Amino acid sequence: MREDDILSGSLLEETWLTLEQVAAACAVEPEWLARHLDDGLFPHVAAVAGTWRFSSANLARARRMRQLERDFDAVPELAALVADLLEELDELRVRLRQAGLS
Amino acid sequence: MPIHRKVVLAACFHRRTVGSVNDTWRASSDFKGLIHTVTAPISPLDEITPNPTERRSRLEFKDYYQTLGVARDATAEDIKKSFRKLARKYHPDVSKEPDAVTRMQAVNEAYAVLSDPEKRAAYDQLGQGYQPGQDFRPPPDWDAGFEFSGHGFSTAEAADFSDFFAELFGRMGGAHHADFRAAGIHVPGEDHHAKILLELEDTFHGATRQISLQIPRLDTNGRVALETRTLNVQIPKGVREGQMIRLAGQGAPGRGEGRPGDLLLEIHFKPHPRFRVDGRDLHLTVPVTPWEAALGAAVTVELPGGALKVRIPEGSQGGQQLRVRGKGLPADPPGDLLLHIKVVLPPATTPKARELYETMARELAFDPRAERRT
Repeated sequence: MREDDILSGSLLEETWLTLEQVAAACAVEPEWLARHLDDGLFPHVAAVAGTWRFSSANLARARRMRQLERDFDAVPELAALVADLLEELDELRVRLRQAGLS
Repeated sequence: MPIHRKVVLAACFHRRTVGSVNDTWRASSDFKGLIHTVTAPISPLDEITPNPTERRSRLEFKDYYQTLGVARDATAEDIKKSFRKLARKYHPDVSKEPDAVTRMQAVNEAYAVLSDPEKRAAYDQLGQGYQPGQDFRPPPDWDAGFEFSGHGFSTAEAADFSDFFAELFGRMGGAHHADFRAAGIHVPGEDHHAKILLELEDTFHGATRQISLQIPRLDTNGRVALETRTLNVQIPKGVREGQMIRLAGQGAPGRGEGRPGDLLLEIHFKPHPRFRVDGRDLHLTVPVTPWEAALGAAVTVELPGGALKVRIPEGSQGGQQLRVRGKGLPADPPGDLLLHIKVVLPPATTPKARELYETMARELAFDPRAERRT
């Protein structure tokens, strides 16, 4: 393998995703995301120098909430509550896997 | 409603190329692993993107009413109600059904058609006399005069839909990049998402991993063909679970002269038999003898980054945790190493061992259950 065949990427936590990138990845309008941010439904998204910074976990949360709102006509707060529970479920499943119990 | 043909083609192109690739993210989100660290190429999209030759030779009719469990004259409200019921039953995050993901894709597809009056009308018209599973042959150019919108489904979700759906509502008709360039349409390519499964050791030393992706691309006839891409990716030292590596320009190609999207690789670690990772921190169980716990000792622990000598403080108990700062994952800042002390008793299987235990029993005034009696 030649040295120049190897791709070096940047770690997203150093570059993050922007609001527009997350909106595009979830097929939602940026306004939808901005409204949910203003309403505090993305507690772990921080704004640095006036720019929202999204991690991969935030992206997964946006997808889930959009799906819940679309499939069940869930109000945003309910979608956020379900997303909270699903995130907790994810964490517990990871722990089970790490403990060799699943 | 008649619309400009080019717009239909542009929408279809978007769905059939970008959507299918974006799907790597969703399907892999439940650890089905559409992307792996591999040394040999894999065919991760085979399940959802059948061979284009087969598609041409046989297309099965799908009974969307049967999928949603509604009558053919069901009202829009009935259809919505039934969809929600099934969306709950097959929700990929909570469903216990073994085929929940596949079933949910079928339900989404059926709902995308039956919830849209135009698609439903077209489907009803074309589907007359067909039985589920029967060979389906749509009449040529049947879709002229219909306008098909996504109706709430993203390109990634629409990419899960069957060939039957694609034949009906997503036919390409031969558009390719040149059409967009000629039309002056320049759209940046979408970012692709995928998971990459690493060994824990990779974050300690850094690594180069070869990954293979099978990505549907449109050929010049507008048919989908699978293209295998193999990438050698540098894994930086200190990566943590959940972080993403962005590979600029490795996503979907842009339309016209639009720039290509990026490939975002989400980092996950394979379960390790000895270590547990929690963010930057590394957890490890350390077995110690009763005298090491009671009197204190220096013990050697083997870590992925090399051996480390750790002092077990005098009077340690089983179940206690020792934090060794900066010896977790080599991130910036580095994580901590958390040692879980496990006191292991030597078996009393020899006369000497029995004698020592009996001496302790006789001479140590120790009752671990004393608290329970007060």
